Amino acid sequence: MTLLQTHLSTDPAAPLARRNPVAKLAAALIPSMLLLVSVDPVSAGLLLTAWLVSVPAWGVGWSGLLRRLWPLALAVVMVSLGNAVFTARKGGATLLEAGPLLVTSESLATGATAGLRVAAIALPGVLAVLTIDPVDLADSLVRYVRVPARFAYGSLAAFRLAPLLAAEWEVLGRARRARGLGGDRNPLRALTVLGGRLFALLVGAVRRGTHLAVAMDARGFAASAHRTCARRPVFGRADAALVAASALLTAVAVGVALATGAWSPVLS
Amino acid sequence: MSEPGTIQVRRHRWRTVDIVVASVIGVVFGVVFAIWNNLLYSVINAPLGSMPIAPLASGVWLVPAVLGALVVRRPGAALYTEALAAVVSMFFGSAWGLSVFLSGMWQGLGAEVLLALLAYRRWGAGAALLAGGGAGLAMGLYEIVAYVPTYSADWKVIYVGCAIAAGVVAGGLAWLLMRALARTGALAPFAAGRSQGEI
Repeated sequence: MTLLQTHLSTDPAAPLARRNPVAKLAAALIPSMLLLVSVDPVSAGLLLTAWLVSVPAWGVGWSGLLRRLWPLALAVVMVSLGNAVFTARKGGATLLEAGPLLVTSESLATGATAGLRVAAIALPGVLAVLTIDPVDLADSLVRYVRVPARFAYGSLAAFRLAPLLAAEWEVLGRARRARGLGGDRNPLRALTVLGGRLFALLVGAVRRGTHLAVAMDARGFAASAHRTCARRPVFGRADAALVAASALLTAVAVGVALATGAWSPVLS
Repeated sequence: MSEPGTIQVRRHRWRTVDIVVASVIGVVFGVVFAIWNNLLYSVINAPLGSMPIAPLASGVWLVPAVLGALVVRRPGAALYTEALAAVVSMFFGSAWGLSVFLSGMWQGLGAEVLLALLAYRRWGAGAALLAGGGAGLAMGLYEIVAYVPTYSADWKVIYVGCAIAAGVVAGGLAWLLMRALARTGALAPFAAGRSQGEI
């Protein structure tokens, strides 16, 4: 199923790609959370630039990243336009006036800032997630964030069903096609068939999940008293350094925004 | 009759089948989200832009929160299912990074709070609609902070209103899905499956 870009060739030996998943997520969360507080071009621009500079260190190729990011690019444009049209700040020169639509230089700048901020919020997480392996993540979450093991490994087990689901999706489509369903030109009819196919997928998945749960219980999954772990994730100095660097970078960006007077909290 | 205390413990502890089936629902919807994010949403959202009615197209994201809670009926099920769906869609290629996860947390929390207010005792259509509305409200509030922070105040109100409407529709859809699932017998290990005893 080509719809799911499960794999993007990344270099697992790159300096930042090798870090602990929890460290990567923390490093990505810090700037995203702080950017949510304020809408200003300075902090968003600085953080976006800094994270763009760090792309090679994550072992992610530019072409692959761009292919992954086109919905984001589209969304940034749309968010910018939406904010430009519906903002209350309509000062400056009028650029476009068509009925209720009014775009001025100030509103366009406001919109562009909102778009820039969306890009700056998203990019760190994209880089972190691209280089995280779900198994490592589950191990690290259990060990370092104290996520209950039953939930972490239960969700991991379900996650492992995803490729099976993709295969089943194909089978369901062919089975329906053989019975004369699907392949319609009428979009409404096609939507109904698609809905039925999705529902069949869900039913199959829930059934499989129930069987899986029985099998896991039979192997003592629920007995959590003395759980040992097969893989030991490591959170070393380099991992702590990554989190610290991200926090420092965010602090610098916020500091510069405050110093230049650009900082403007959303809820003010 | 056992003591009330023991019933309480049993009612709130997640069995393995609860965890796995909630996870499976999360994974299925995570895959749906990934497809939705990368193809449909971009296409649908392009004309909508980030107009104040844009949240009307976002109802899909709220279904797993309500569906997970309706099937599993445990405290935390809405939050867990929604957050997991968000994480899975992240792994299957979302351009949105962790903001998907943050959205998922908020949406799940919105549904969860409403179900908690009903003391985790009501699981009918009304509760589903309410939980969906709660998820929609949370989605709207998060998005006016994250995506449309510079809207004027009345547009923000319309934005949140649309989000709530989308949430209520999603809640209704989740309830219909749960009933249809129960009818197939796939929910036999759950109270949701047993409450559909009549044939």
